[in-house]
Amino acid sequence: MVFATYEARVNITWNGQNGDLPDTVEFDTADREVRRWVTEAVRTGGVPGIGPDGRADFADFVVDRFPANENRPYNLIQVRPKTPFGGC
Amino acid sequence: MKEAGVVIDHQGAPLFWHFPPSRTTAGLPDSHVLWDILWTARESIAGFAHSHPGTGLPRPSQEDLTTFAAIEAALGRRIEWWIVSYDRVASLTWVGPGRHDYTACPVPHEPAWTSVLRLASWQGEERDGLRDVRGTSQHHVEWAER
Repeated sequence: MVFATYEARVNITWNGQNGDLPDTVEFDTADREVRRWVTEAVRTGGVPGIGPDGRADFADFVVDRFPANENRPYNLIQVRPKTPFGGC
Repeated sequence: MKEAGVVIDHQGAPLFWHFPPSRTTAGLPDSHVLWDILWTARESIAGFAHSHPGTGLPRPSQEDLTTFAAIEAALGRRIEWWIVSYDRVASLTWVGPGRHDYTACPVPHEPAWTSVLRLASWQGEERDGLRDVRGTSQHHVEWAER
């Protein structure tokens, strides 16, 4: 698969499974749009490798962006859980 | 005091010390490195511990609870969460039914890693038996931002 410089693969982790959205998205797509598409895709079973889950909720997930590099010749958007911890 | 964390495996041993440079008294920052560790070692991990300022039985913040739930949703299973104060340890697990319904229980017999976590959190502060460990705990620091 050949990616345009403005495109990105979207990788998702949910319910112990990991997969990519079948279609690429624009690398600068807003976080809320990425979350919305990912939520819809996981709920309807549209992500290969991730079973459909009607209760999927990515509100507390982070949209990380990694530009293409030598080892990965395409932009990557990773949707993963947030990991901050706050005192008191 | 600066908060610190550690990933614990099923044998109760530290798997990854989490001392990010931008940690503060107020908390640990979001870290994709920590998530990469949790995901890569998902079959081996029992839980994650982090420190809180102050004394007494620690209570989770709202940030803690939403992070617990998000990580468990991604892992696809529940894990144990410990919070370590200056003198007490609490163990938290999800009880439901709500997404953020976790209960905290005191841990009377503290695991060995709690002392290292306290040293990493309070290092430089000489208080009640906690000694300065600058320079001696560096071998525990395995954190590197990408």
